[in-house]
Amino acid sequence: MRPNVLAAVALVVVAVACAAFAVFYWTTKTSLFASDFGLHTKHAIFFTALAVLALIAANFARRAGAARARR
Amino acid sequence: MLGAGAILFLAALQGATELFPVSSLGHAVVIPALFHLGFKQSDPDLVPILTLLHLGTAGALLILYRSEWWRIIRGFVRAALRGTIENSDERLAMMLVVGTIPTGVIGFFFVKPLTNLFGDPRASSAFLIVNAAILAGAEVFRRRDERRRRAIRTSDTAPATPSGTSHVAGDPGYAGVERLTLRTAVIVGACQIAALFPGISRSGVTMAAGLIAGLRHEEAARFAFLLATPIILSAGLLEVPDLGGSTSTLAIGAGAAVLAGVVSYLSARFLLRYLRFGRLDPFAYYCAALGTAGLVFIR
Repeated sequence: MRPNVLAAVALVVVAVACAAFAVFYWTTKTSLFASDFGLHTKHAIFFTALAVLALIAANFARRAGAARARR
Repeated sequence: MLGAGAILFLAALQGATELFPVSSLGHAVVIPALFHLGFKQSDPDLVPILTLLHLGTAGALLILYRSEWWRIIRGFVRAALRGTIENSDERLAMMLVVGTIPTGVIGFFFVKPLTNLFGDPRASSAFLIVNAAILAGAEVFRRRDERRRRAIRTSDTAPATPSGTSHVAGDPGYAGVERLTLRTAVIVGACQIAALFPGISRSGVTMAAGLIAGLRHEEAARFAFLLATPIILSAGLLEVPDLGGSTSTLAIGAGAAVLAGVVSYLSARFLLRYLRFGRLDPFAYYCAALGTAGLVFIR
């Protein structure tokens, strides 16, 4: 696999992991990475934003890989 | 319970110090202790008030750069969907995103522990002195670089570089924000992490890093303000669901947010105008003096 494609795949995996964390924080009371036990919507929003950013980065990596392949 | 006078004082303090490179958080910790003002960091009304004040400052920055933010947001959406960067707006949008991520991630997990750990007035005073050293150090670096460049240029084409606390306005030897690489933008943005320590100024470290990266003074300030907007806005918005406090406190807080916004707007306009010719040294002297006073007089 070309490095940029590999980076794109890795970033998609990161995005999926962040999305999973986001769903977890939206739906489950927890104290994971938090100071108290409860629903942590801020954490959910934070991981949602990270998931979106990872997908955007994956899109950039994919396009860079495609451009390199054309050359 | 915070009184209306204390809240309005905090608003003016926050508005004046958030964008100046002198650390608003450091001032919010040191000034009340230094002048024996009657409120404490542990006051339950303080966090909601500070949240509202941050929203006021973010609003001021959005208004100040409203047309630029509109172009940046459109550029971000276009570039994100396309997967490539094709113009300067898209490039600036991506620089702001990659410059914000490190501070956003570190700040999200560590801002409370760090503020609790170092939020006492004497520690903040010490960090104000560190902030002074950062600002002064950046200017020393810039002066040396200006002298080196002046020596390289032929003497008949080189503009005279004023000494003291001024510099050549719009010096063509230094770049605008759009000339930064994405990697440099990440490094400059990541410098905001230092501002998690109360007493280190977010705009100060970003401006210092921008100067070292080769930006003109006013461009370093512009990049610092653009980088600060998402952080200040998101920090404020994320706290809104947890806003406690009495209705009257929140009503006064909303008015104070407007005051903080107006003062922030005027501060930013002043600073951008000042930095067309001026340097960061006066802010370094001020931070050093306040930090020293804090260390000497606060027990």
